[in-house]
Amino acid sequence: MNYIEVRNLVKTFKERGKTLTAVDGISFSAKKGEIFGLLGPNGAGKSTTINILTGLLEKDSGTIKLLGFEPEKNWEYVKNHCNVATAYSWLSDVLTIRQNLKVYARLYGVKNHEQKINELLELFELKEIADRKVVRLSSGENTRTVLCKGLINDPKVLFLDECTVGLDPDIADKTRTLIKDYQKKNDCTILFTSHYMYEVEQLCDRIAFMSEGKIVRIDTSDNLKRMIKKRTVEIAVKKDVGALKNFLKTEGVDVWFGKGNNLRFEVTTEKDKMYKVISKIFHQGFMLSNLHIQGPTLDDIFIKISRKK
Amino acid sequence: MKLYRINALLLKYYYLTVSRIDRLFDIVYWPVIDLFIWGFTGFYIQGLSDVNVLSMLLGGVILWVFVWRSSQDIAVFILEDFWSRNLYHLFSSPIRLSEHLTSIIVMGFIRSLATFVILWPLGILMYSFNILQISPLLVALSVFLLTLFGWAIGLLIAAFLFRYGQRIQIIAWSVTFVLSPFAAIYYPVSALPPWAAKIALALPPAHVFEALRALIYGTPVNVRGLWYAFIASLALFIATAYFLVISFRHSKRTGLLAKGD
Repeated sequence: MNYIEVRNLVKTFKERGKTLTAVDGISFSAKKGEIFGLLGPNGAGKSTTINILTGLLEKDSGTIKLLGFEPEKNWEYVKNHCNVATAYSWLSDVLTIRQNLKVYARLYGVKNHEQKINELLELFELKEIADRKVVRLSSGENTRTVLCKGLINDPKVLFLDECTVGLDPDIADKTRTLIKDYQKKNDCTILFTSHYMYEVEQLCDRIAFMSEGKIVRIDTSDNLKRMIKKRTVEIAVKKDVGALKNFLKTEGVDVWFGKGNNLRFEVTTEKDKMYKVISKIFHQGFMLSNLHIQGPTLDDIFIKISRKK
Repeated sequence: MKLYRINALLLKYYYLTVSRIDRLFDIVYWPVIDLFIWGFTGFYIQGLSDVNVLSMLLGGVILWVFVWRSSQDIAVFILEDFWSRNLYHLFSSPIRLSEHLTSIIVMGFIRSLATFVILWPLGILMYSFNILQISPLLVALSVFLLTLFGWAIGLLIAAFLFRYGQRIQIIAWSVTFVLSPFAAIYYPVSALPPWAAKIALALPPAHVFEALRALIYGTPVNVRGLWYAFIASLALFIATAYFLVISFRHSKRTGLLAKGD
């Protein structure tokens, strides 16, 4: 069953007489238990999409179904079973972490909310500072507090909007692990937005690339990577680096980095070209001291897709 | 509307009240300062004339609190959510606008009553002025009418906040001050120049304070004036509530609610 279903969603804003299209007829769906990523640069329409899905923004046209229902028609059920966490919005800053969570637990009608709050504080390592005011928290603590709020009602659908922005790598990694663990344990659907490619790659089952309000492509991370046929090859030879350069030239490969005995070049995987070139290097008798083949990253895919547009 | 969601926000506004010194000052400090200033002024003027100025001034101070608190609390509690960028989380939760406003209105009324409970014995203690001695019925009616008017003004400010964001927050602090000269709190409407008297008579509070003064002076109370105050306050409340709903929808269309600024 699709827990998130979006069809032909459009949202425009009027600014100084001009109409700006933030979301331009996008369609996607996410199944139960799936982590679906929205990836794109700033202004691509990711947050606008989430804001529409959370009911904070009114759409111009299109249909939305959450948990199989249209939110406008089943407001109570949908709102009670969805939640959101974002790095861009805080909880009440003069209240403590615990006070904020108590308020939201009651808003969502959570039963045994004291127990639930303690579980979340434990999970996100916030128990020691639970009585600290939000205004005095670091950005990492703040993000974890917002995530606690996001999970307070055991949501079936969770919207995570760039929730690791501004975190140091260690905290960001811990946060991603917590999200992944929670999702596995509770089988909830997560709509995840980020402009950090590795983060999306690590977490998401499927990814939608957004650019200028449109979804350019939806696929799994592996399938997306197959779009790029080029590999970067790094070679270090013990001697005859000049001869190797010339040999590569005859094979139609342009070396675009060379320092000392190290060479770096791009070669296509089409028609097994990469394997053939490497095999020939060995057959020519070049003595290699290092060989490293690097596959494409989501950054490469993103640049390719964005530029193609 | 769900009671548990209203209770959740009442809890939040309770936390806000007890954890911020300026929210406690709203209840105690400024009203008590007002009572001192107008009490001593009334004490002095009373010695110069036969008119019961002290009762007139203190009655005005104590009852105006209901307009002031009712209107400002709606605006300030909404602003608190703007300031902490919390509107996003609040309105992505199952809360409805009606539940949000009900909780603010109830908390505002509780805070008004708290101020009343402080000022009432203080008036007796310091100036031997017991507002309930004037007429408990009229005081209760005045509290109702002035609170209703205060809510209407509060909803108007809230509507502007949802439409234009916190850049116009100055109106939250200034509207009651702008209205106060025309509310005839401390002086009769007849003391105003004709153009100002017209404005005063169009506003509900002036009729309430005129009724209060009539009782203090022992002259007949203008019942029609009180009816006008009720109808006008109710009409204003309905109109501003409607404007607020429109403004809230507007904030959902423009993205102000999501951005929270």
